Amino acid sequence: MAALPRRIIKETQRLMQEPVPGISAVPDDSNARYFHVIVTGPEDSPFEGGLFKLELFLPEDYPMSAPKVRFITKIYHPNIDRLGRICLDILKDKWSPALQIRTVLLSIQALLSAPNPDDPLANDVAELWKVNESEAIRNAKEWTRRYAMGN
Amino acid sequence: MSIFINALKNILHRMLQLLSFGQKTITNSLNIYIKTSGGNTLSVDLDPTWDIKNVKQFVAPKLGLEPEEVKIIFAGKELGDRIRIAECDLGQQSILHAVKIKVKPKLREIKGSLVEEIEEQCTKPLCNTLKDVMFSSDDHTAIGKTESSSSNESDKLRVHFFVFCPTCKALRSGKIRVRCNFCKSGAFTVHSDPQNWNDVLEPKQITGLCENNPQLCANVLDNREPTFAEFYFKCSEHTSLGEKDEAIPLYLIRPNLREIPCLACTDISDPVFVFPCAEGHVTCLDCFRQYCSTKLMERQFWQHPEYGYTLACPAGCPDSFIKEIHHFRLLSEAQYAQYQRFATEEFVLRSGGVLCPQPGCGMGILPDEECTRITCINGCGYVFCRQCLQGYHIGQCQNPENEVGANSDGCIYTVDPARAAEARWDEASKRAIKVLTKPCPKCRTPTERDGGCMHMVCTRAGCEFHWCWVCQTAWTRECMGSHWFG
Repeated sequence: MAALPRRIIKETQRLMQEPVPGISAVPDDSNARYFHVIVTGPEDSPFEGGLFKLELFLPEDYPMSAPKVRFITKIYHPNIDRLGRICLDILKDKWSPALQIRTVLLSIQALLSAPNPDDPLANDVAELWKVNESEAIRNAKEWTRRYAMGN
Repeated sequence: MSIFINALKNILHRMLQLLSFGQKTITNSLNIYIKTSGGNTLSVDLDPTWDIKNVKQFVAPKLGLEPEEVKIIFAGKELGDRIRIAECDLGQQSILHAVKIKVKPKLREIKGSLVEEIEEQCTKPLCNTLKDVMFSSDDHTAIGKTESSSSNESDKLRVHFFVFCPTCKALRSGKIRVRCNFCKSGAFTVHSDPQNWNDVLEPKQITGLCENNPQLCANVLDNREPTFAEFYFKCSEHTSLGEKDEAIPLYLIRPNLREIPCLACTDISDPVFVFPCAEGHVTCLDCFRQYCSTKLMERQFWQHPEYGYTLACPAGCPDSFIKEIHHFRLLSEAQYAQYQRFATEEFVLRSGGVLCPQPGCGMGILPDEECTRITCINGCGYVFCRQCLQGYHIGQCQNPENEVGANSDGCIYTVDPARAAEARWDEASKRAIKVLTKPCPKCRTPTERDGGCMHMVCTRAGCEFHWCWVCQTAWTRECMGSHWFG
């Protein structure tokens, strides 16, 4: 495997030295481009109190291409489908090499605080979020309790 | 007659040089052409340690003049007597211009010391009066010339230009040169130095005096506007091949005076690529190449109506397209060839044309609007249907699935086995494209769906059409309601 670009080394160091509050990202022992991520559910959101595992992979041409990020923990969210894929513009066409792992993870955390049912990935979740928000929030809280708490 | 004498003198001088070679070796002598106002060119060897006064003494007899009657012009400046040749950014076979002075120098002295001081300043070569700081910023309010005492620092501030040299076929450091905008003669002096890139790149920014033919160049313009300077560039790394040997300024590549880290890899390197956005985002040259090749592979270059096939700042800044597309010469030869091919294809598609669908051809064709039977005239000769891009047929286009293998209807032809083997691979990929992809309903770009919903957005830069994978038409609310997720 080719040597790890300096940018990735620098970003990793900074993630270790100055971690983002509520987010932990640790590179895998055998692959420095693969990160084990844990995002805590933001306060005043249906995901509060939950710990959500994600995987983040830096492709060969990072930072020219966006990192690949996916939720491993099941989550009830209109912009995240049942495979954990995330609908977020900066992971697709709005990606810029000026963004970083830390900004991506912050954006994902922000997405948990502010779901966007008008640009959905999981259709039924989005539908319910629009039609009956309180029930959707109840579901989200239930899923958080069931899948994202207590290991 | 005088030419004959000059030639004789030249030969005599050469012989003397040869004879005296043993005792007086001219170290690193520069072979320079001197163009005179009469249109003659002298080839001379100059010692770089000489000053301009020495040059005048050397050249004047050849022109039949006194040294005081000659002025030496180089890169838009009349050079002062005390300037040494080594300071002038001259290379092997550079051209100096020797012009006869019309006003006697003695008359000038009466005007007093102030005038003389200014003149003394003007006669420094252009490469010494231009500073990098002026060119590192794009705003039109020029940053003043910083006078520095230590020679080390002034050397650092000396202007650096980067060019694409068509002879070396590579990025090189460049030299700025000046000529008359009208008659293209190099015997031209500027009234003021360019203060920024706009002054250099845009025509008619800096006025000057054409010494080649002042009357003609001013009269043609009816004296209504002054004579203007035209700036051009040469490669500093190969011996000049004459006046036509120009290089293209890559003005977005600049010395990293402010030590700005690369946007992508965060390393501080020198030189850097400065994007033409308001923020002036910086990448190192390696990351610029990587950015271009990634975008090229994804067909994400933009067909800009004025600039051509280009890219904008990677940080997504508005109005940040690269205007001088020669900057893409930083790509490898193979990638640049691909860039040119994609640019041509994009241009053909934008102009309502079609690309020949025959594997290995891809010729661009611009047919009449109503024409549906298209012949690849200058390419492979294939005749195809404009709608389905299959072999030409009468009537409705067939479904691609039914069409495979329909051609074997007993034509008599011979097949070159080598060509056939090659074509088989192409046929396989053609089939794979047919099976796995659907064309964008707007621009026909074959598109593969690798998961997600049925809402497709065309990936071709500039098309970005929203369409439905099921209906193969524009994406509607109805698609959203009935088969968004299949």
